[in-house]
Amino acid sequence: MIPPPPPSRSNRTWGLQPKLILAMLLVGIVPLIVGLGLAFWQGSREIQVVSGESFKALAEETARKVDLLMSDEIGRTSRIATDPSIILELEQRRDALLDMSDDARRRSVDTLKRGWEAKEPASVQAITGNKMAGIIQEYLAGTKNEADQLIPQVVRSATKMLYITDVEGNLVASSTNLPSFAHKETAWWKGASHRGVGQLYIENVHFDESVQSYVISISLPIMDRIRYGVVGVIHRVIDAKELISPSISPIRFGKTGHVMLIDHRGIVISCPILPTGVRLSDAQLVPLVTPLQPGWVSAPSDGHGGQSTSIIGFAPMPETSRATNSDLGKGSWHTFVWQASDELFAPIRHFLTWMAIFSLVAVGLMTSLGYLAANRIVTPVRRLQAAAQLVGRGELRQPIDIQTGDEIQDLADEFNRMNRQLEAAFAGLTDQVTFKTQQVESLLHSTDQILDAVPTPIIMVNQDEQVQYINRVGRDSFPVTDHSTQSIPLFEILPDDAALREHLRREFRRARNGDHVETASGAEDAAVVKTARDPLAPETGTGEPSNRQEIQIGSRRYHYQWFHMVGRNQGEDRVGLVFRDTTDDSLLQDQIIQAEKSGSLGTLTAGIGHELNNPLFGILGLGEAIEEEADLDRVRSYARDIVQHGRRMAAIIRDFTGVTARETSDQRQPVHLERELDQAITTVVAGIDATGLAIQKTYAGDSCVSALPDQIRQAFTNLVANAIQAMKGRGSLHLSTSLTDTSVVTRIGDSGPGIPKQYLSKIFDPFFTTKGQGEGSGLGLTVARRIIRKFGGDIRIESQEGSGTSCIVTLPVIPPFPRTEEASCTESHSTP
Amino acid sequence: MHRVALYAIALTLLIASLWWEPCTLSAKERTGPSGIPPEKVAAYIYDVIKADRTLYTTEIVNRLQAKGVANASEHWEQENALMLPAQFLQHSGKLAAESGSEIRYRLIGLWPIYRRNAPASDLERNALESLRKNPAVPVTGVVTSGRKQYFQAIYPDLAVSSVCIECHNGHLLSPKRDFKLNDVMGGIAITIPLE
Repeated sequence: MIPPPPPSRSNRTWGLQPKLILAMLLVGIVPLIVGLGLAFWQGSREIQVVSGESFKALAEETARKVDLLMSDEIGRTSRIATDPSIILELEQRRDALLDMSDDARRRSVDTLKRGWEAKEPASVQAITGNKMAGIIQEYLAGTKNEADQLIPQVVRSATKMLYITDVEGNLVASSTNLPSFAHKETAWWKGASHRGVGQLYIENVHFDESVQSYVISISLPIMDRIRYGVVGVIHRVIDAKELISPSISPIRFGKTGHVMLIDHRGIVISCPILPTGVRLSDAQLVPLVTPLQPGWVSAPSDGHGGQSTSIIGFAPMPETSRATNSDLGKGSWHTFVWQASDELFAPIRHFLTWMAIFSLVAVGLMTSLGYLAANRIVTPVRRLQAAAQLVGRGELRQPIDIQTGDEIQDLADEFNRMNRQLEAAFAGLTDQVTFKTQQVESLLHSTDQILDAVPTPIIMVNQDEQVQYINRVGRDSFPVTDHSTQSIPLFEILPDDAALREHLRREFRRARNGDHVETASGAEDAAVVKTARDPLAPETGTGEPSNRQEIQIGSRRYHYQWFHMVGRNQGEDRVGLVFRDTTDDSLLQDQIIQAEKSGSLGTLTAGIGHELNNPLFGILGLGEAIEEEADLDRVRSYARDIVQHGRRMAAIIRDFTGVTARETSDQRQPVHLERELDQAITTVVAGIDATGLAIQKTYAGDSCVSALPDQIRQAFTNLVANAIQAMKGRGSLHLSTSLTDTSVVTRIGDSGPGIPKQYLSKIFDPFFTTKGQGEGSGLGLTVARRIIRKFGGDIRIESQEGSGTSCIVTLPVIPPFPRTEEASCTESHSTP
Repeated sequence: MHRVALYAIALTLLIASLWWEPCTLSAKERTGPSGIPPEKVAAYIYDVIKADRTLYTTEIVNRLQAKGVANASEHWEQENALMLPAQFLQHSGKLAAESGSEIRYRLIGLWPIYRRNAPASDLERNALESLRKNPAVPVTGVVTSGRKQYFQAIYPDLAVSSVCIECHNGHLLSPKRDFKLNDVMGGIAITIPLE
């Protein structure tokens, strides 16, 4: 029924079922505990309040009862005190004492006192047998009383002593022989006599030696007939327990509940449990239970030796307390109602116990029901989980069957729907994959076809230098015997030259790392080709073969190039190698150069002639001048010019023979541009009739360029000569230089007829000339441009037909710093 | 027969006059010609007591009770209350006596709540009876205690306030419970020694 537990439980600490059970238990138990706690607390409080109020009421009631009892006793005693016979006796005694002298009085009293203390029968008889004593006895016995005023037997037996003192405090009558004689100094006598005014005095409980018991006493003044003053005091000593116990001992409730009477000091007057005369066990309890108003308190101890919290009701006895020690402020009596806490709180404890038992039963029920409920919830969830795992693996074939009729069933339906959609989606995906695979395959096929159609060999190499692909041309070109190109090391099909192989391997590694392998050697190749095409330039040395991306395989020569292919989908990066057969290219180029060289030899000769003509005409002119010149100094000057022209011719020839070709750029030197320009003008002008020529110069200053001075001068001479020729020797020639940060611009302008537009594009072509036969070789501008370009500059012609031509020469300038360079530039040419 | 009766009447009158004469004479003699008669002294004292008691009753007890500030109660010490007007008089009389003065005054009644406030002598009892019928006239007399003589005047004590009747009609120990306002509830006995 229940599907097997799911295999993966790695991240799970608590399953759904324990959680559900726990949740149900918590939902049940927490309110239960809170409710029980609150009920217990509230119940305890209410029991406290109800018990406290009951105890208070009982205390008040008992206080009133005992108060009445005491009032009755006081009333009975009062009746004796108001007996006219006794009053008369005491009045007479007072008057008799007043009549006696002090000595006589003292003697009489002393005699009687001694006799009484010695228990002499005469003296005892005088006090216990006189008229007043008789009246007392009658009262005690009840014979003197009315029917409704009979002294109960209890009270009679409780009265231990009853006696009367005179106005002096001396004993005059007594029911027993127990009392002492003189009482004037006792507290009760003073209190009752009250300075002759008279007042009720109730003595607190104390132990009386005469009667060997704890007693209280009631003392009443006996007033004279008109109640004017005290004539004596009646004193009644009562056994406290005997008197009060019958009133309060029967008041019992429960096992421990009872009422007791204490005084304001906390001394027990009467208690069913504690003996009379002892103090309450807890002194701190006394102020709590002896206020002058009735009430109840929750005290920390019970006063009976127990330390448990107790509810105690208490009430003062209003009437009796007023007379205790003659004043309410000096003492008071209180009732004390108490029941043991254990007994008091037993019902609520029983309630709690029962509730706890029922709660346990309830918790057990909750656990079992919770287990059942959780099981009902969890089982379909587990089936769903198992089904979800099957869906995840794509193995769910049967629809999930859950009939709970709730959200889980909905969820299962959703799962089924999802599974169906997934299956449909997967089916479509398979078709698509097939289609795409076919596409990829055809793409690969076409790529192969394209690659095979490419006329240059292409090789693909993996990271381990193994050839993975080689196209048809490659297979034909390289010694690949096996058609399967798998696991053929690259260097097996490449030439077996150790140095070359090392060089290729280095390049392969760089290409493998994705670095660009288009090295300087490639650019150098281009330069070499370019140089080779110029028949006038000196040939530079060929580079080292290892630096060139060319390789000789068999009889063929290949230019090759590495390229890096990034692998897809974590696939390995690959390196491609493309070859270009340059065997035929090189051959063709060499043939072209040869043809050019031989073809231009004739024009070259004419060019040399043109170049040499200018200085030669100078020399001829100067020679003619020397013939006619008589001044030796001028002759020498002409001779110097001749020498200079000769040197120039030598330089031209040297140029043409390629002697300077061996000069490298290192032999360049700073050249003063304006100075070279001036020398060029001098050279040109010397050979012609310059009378109609106006030369205007606008120089920027000392412009220094790095070049070979002879070649610069040659270039300028060509340009100036062209300009003057264009003007036919008549017109104005403008020469100017201007400096920018990096270059110096020299402008040579003439006022000639200008160059027609159709020739402007051809004027730098070698041997192109507009001049007549023998006037120009057509090489002047060509040579000038070659020289200027050699030194990093350029020449440009600006011309408008009919308004002259400007030739603009731009050359990189040597920066003015450092000054030493400038100095050397100046210096080298100041002393030619 | 008539002579015998006349003799008897004459003898009685003679005896009565002989008995009465020295009493009245002696009282008057003792005060002396320049002294104040005890009746007057008692009247003065009564006026003071009455004024004090009326003031206490109306201006303190009645007023504070009406305003709800305090109540008057017999157990005023325990209940933090005002003492009853009757207690006020009793206590002031006690205080006067305790101070050593020889003047005594107290409240007495034919139906006392406490027995100690019952009339102590025939004079007091008769006076209370007389005052019940005729409250306007105080009763005076000379009484003796042993050889001592005292002048006593008993004035009526009316139920001046509702506090008085409420207490007496409601008290557990009260023997009479049908007092009405302004009834004669008892009397104020003032005793002055004639020495």
